[in-house]
Amino acid sequence: MRIQTFFALALAATTLAELPAQGRGRRGQQPGGEAPPQAAPTPAAEPQKSNKPKTYVAITGGDVYLGTGQRLTGATVLVADDKVEAVGHGLEIPAGATEISAKGKVVSPGFVCVLGAGMGAPRGAPFVDSVNPFDPEIKQGLAAGVTSFLAGSPGGGAMPSGSNAVIKLAYGDVKGMVLAENTVAAINVPMSLADRQRFEETVKQAKEYLAALAEFPKKKAADAAAKEPALPRGAEALVPVLKGERRLWVNLQGGGFNPFGGGRMGAASDLPAIREALAISRLLGVGVVLQKPTSAWLVPDEIAASGSMVVISPRDRLPADPKDPERTGSNLASSALLAAAGVPVAVTCPVGMFGGAGVGTGGILGQDLNTPHVDAAYAVRGGLDNRKALRTIALDAARILGVEARVGSLEAGKDADILILDGDPLHYATFVETAIVNGKVVYEKAKEPLYRHIAR
Amino acid sequence: MNMANLPRSLSLAALLAFAAASATAQDARPIAFVNARLVPVAGPVVENGTLVVRNGKIEAIGKDAVVPAGARVVDCAGKTIMPGLVSAVSRAGLDQPQRPRDAQGARQGGRRGQPMPMPMPGGGGAQDKAAAKVIEGVYAKQPVFGELLRKGVTTLSLAPRGDAFPGLGALLRPDGKTLDELTLDGEAFVMVGMGRDGQTKKLLKDNFAAAQKVLEARKKPPEPKPEEKKPEEQKPAEAPKTEAPKQEGPAPTPNPQPTPTPTPTPKPEPKPEPTPNPQPAPQQQPQGQAPAQAAPRRQEPPKNPNHEVLADLLDGKRRALIEIDSATEMLHWQHTFADAAAGKDATADGKSPAPTFPHTLVVGGHNTQEGTIDQVLDLVKAQKPAAVLLPPTLATTPRSRLLTHPARTLHEAGIEIGFLLGSDPATAEGTFFRLMELVRTGLPADVALKGVTLVPAQALGVDKRTGSLEVGKDADLLVLTGDPLDPASRLESVWLRGQQVPEKQ
Repeated sequence: MRIQTFFALALAATTLAELPAQGRGRRGQQPGGEAPPQAAPTPAAEPQKSNKPKTYVAITGGDVYLGTGQRLTGATVLVADDKVEAVGHGLEIPAGATEISAKGKVVSPGFVCVLGAGMGAPRGAPFVDSVNPFDPEIKQGLAAGVTSFLAGSPGGGAMPSGSNAVIKLAYGDVKGMVLAENTVAAINVPMSLADRQRFEETVKQAKEYLAALAEFPKKKAADAAAKEPALPRGAEALVPVLKGERRLWVNLQGGGFNPFGGGRMGAASDLPAIREALAISRLLGVGVVLQKPTSAWLVPDEIAASGSMVVISPRDRLPADPKDPERTGSNLASSALLAAAGVPVAVTCPVGMFGGAGVGTGGILGQDLNTPHVDAAYAVRGGLDNRKALRTIALDAARILGVEARVGSLEAGKDADILILDGDPLHYATFVETAIVNGKVVYEKAKEPLYRHIAR
Repeated sequence: MNMANLPRSLSLAALLAFAAASATAQDARPIAFVNARLVPVAGPVVENGTLVVRNGKIEAIGKDAVVPAGARVVDCAGKTIMPGLVSAVSRAGLDQPQRPRDAQGARQGGRRGQPMPMPMPGGGGAQDKAAAKVIEGVYAKQPVFGELLRKGVTTLSLAPRGDAFPGLGALLRPDGKTLDELTLDGEAFVMVGMGRDGQTKKLLKDNFAAAQKVLEARKKPPEPKPEEKKPEEQKPAEAPKTEAPKQEGPAPTPNPQPTPTPTPTPKPEPKPEPTPNPQPAPQQQPQGQAPAQAAPRRQEPPKNPNHEVLADLLDGKRRALIEIDSATEMLHWQHTFADAAAGKDATADGKSPAPTFPHTLVVGGHNTQEGTIDQVLDLVKAQKPAAVLLPPTLATTPRSRLLTHPARTLHEAGIEIGFLLGSDPATAEGTFFRLMELVRTGLPADVALKGVTLVPAQALGVDKRTGSLEVGKDADLLVLTGDPLDPASRLESVWLRGQQVPEKQ
């Protein structure tokens, strides 16, 4: 066993490197004939001190997409209580573990949606007090592969604001439904000059406050009467952004060419707004999240250099300005170009598809291909590597929500939000067979009335 | 009064006139219902039985009950007698009267800009007035009470509407003409409404925690020196001085809900006469005030009547109706109550303390958007409610037409179930028809009938007095032309405490 593991570790890097980009065909044809790669690339599970016996679930034999861009064929995902304990080959399955066979199936992390509505989402803060864990829409979301999404308002305006929570589709579990609160704040660009001035002033105050706060323990030791620095007014959401506790989303407004309306929309390029957002990123010293930029494909390197991230709706189409067709309008290859430059990209559905609120049910989620994985498939159509494309609805989407430490990939220590699929995650005809959230099976296609009549 | 000698041939109208005219004379004279099919609810059906009523109480019941000499005999051949319906949660008389549409429009036009008060369907939001009596806001001369009575509702409760703590519910005598006549018990139960919002949950947590403190203070043994004026100690020392020993008695009762009769009556007997003095906590206040007058002012913080009421509740001296409409609300209730009781995140390890006071869960309506109550069967069981009262209807699975039967599911899980009769006479009239549907889909008929009589009576704590046909109980009777669960049956007459209810003039 030990030797085998050693051997596997030695093989791991090469195996992964050799894995070809997956075919786009149905169910992702695997490289046939070769011996199954033996790899255990995930870090060993941290020993956890707990006297309570753990409940183990082992998902065995599936093609495991880790959500990080890697794939393990015929591997086991071991779940202990609500966390992933280990992922890899040849794992020792503890006695008493429930085994779920995923042979011939695909195992992937639950999809993360950058913005959603419905699906048991709370009405407002305090979020945990108004979640609806028996909302029938939760089953619909799970059937579409969604296990987490941002609910509430990401914010907007001239100063960072927002009241939101990352909600998990933990059916029947009140406290399991709220993953984190207020991990996101948002502002709008372009700003007026006055707003810009006020913003810069507040950033300065917030930075001074943080510096004073860092100094405070030393000061307190020297002088017991020292007063703790006060949080500057208006910087309540800015300080967590500077500390890296909240992601700052930048809503790009004013871009886009409207061939019929004229006026408000301006040219078919939001490049000035993108540049302003990147300037804000430099001012703050933290990467920001560009919300649905149209022209980001023109400046992937600038965005990468600022450490920023991008949310894209690959299906959104914006016609180019006929006067400057080369540098305006949307580009299906946006996600691919940005990802190639190293920018984390998350995909979401087009504005207006669900009342403009990202992924929501409204009665149709998952019932007419309006699902996260189909949106990601559009990015693949634009040239994004198939394996990287899963990141756009898994790990990178989680990064954009600031919850990548908890969800988005199948790695030891992360939340056990797992899908068992009957085909390639990004194929339009793929169905979720089993969805697990927080280690509990919350959706089974065969048992729910949604799709159980569709035989495979 | 020789008219009383020919009851069989009397026309109904004449009988009613008689009943109204000579109530006292009739009281003294027993009434015997003979040849009736008796559905006592508390026991097996008696064919061709006799039911004797004297002074408003059931004196004898059975096949071989003897008709007393001089009794007025009512021949009920072919008819069925069952106990009167008990409506445990009603908002009759509390609802905004529905105006005709055109009248409403005219009035709106007259006062432009003033929005009409919208009667909220679910409740008026979170409220913090556990000690407020709903009866004090009722206008007595409303025809709805009498109409409900004529539809068979002989015991009527009035439940305040709202989330968290909307107040104290009342027990009504539906033939009352004035508020005093109407009120049997102005504080029959504490109403608790669960809601899926932060405000409700906060109110529930804070108030239960505060009540727990009040209770702990009451239970402390009386201090030997009441002269000591420590502000914190004063209240605990004084308040339970005379009461504490009495309270210790019932409080540690390990299980205040014995299984055979799910709702005990730890509370003193409901006062039949109206309480003239609105006291939020009738027993506590006088004793609490006396020493406060002797001691310097400001020593004792004023008692919060809401907390006193809830402390009584936690002590098992009051009963509660907890309105939880859905599976989601049940989960939220579990977290809220558990956290409040334990003072921390009590459900983290999967345990949730159930309320120790007598309580009944009320499901106001089947809510498929938040899950029907049968989806959390284990949780409902763990709460150990005396009963679950739910609407007498089937539900569906979410977004489908697949019917589910929450009442049957709960019953088969061993939970006592009762039914809500609604607040308006038209709904109450259809009760038996709805029950037929539930029985057709698998609920035992006796459970269905018990669910509209004895179980709600237990929930209100009046099962010693009404809810079934048993010797010593009030003669609250329904005379039907056939089996209650036969669509061809008709409610022929209603008897409230041995008096026939006159038909509408």
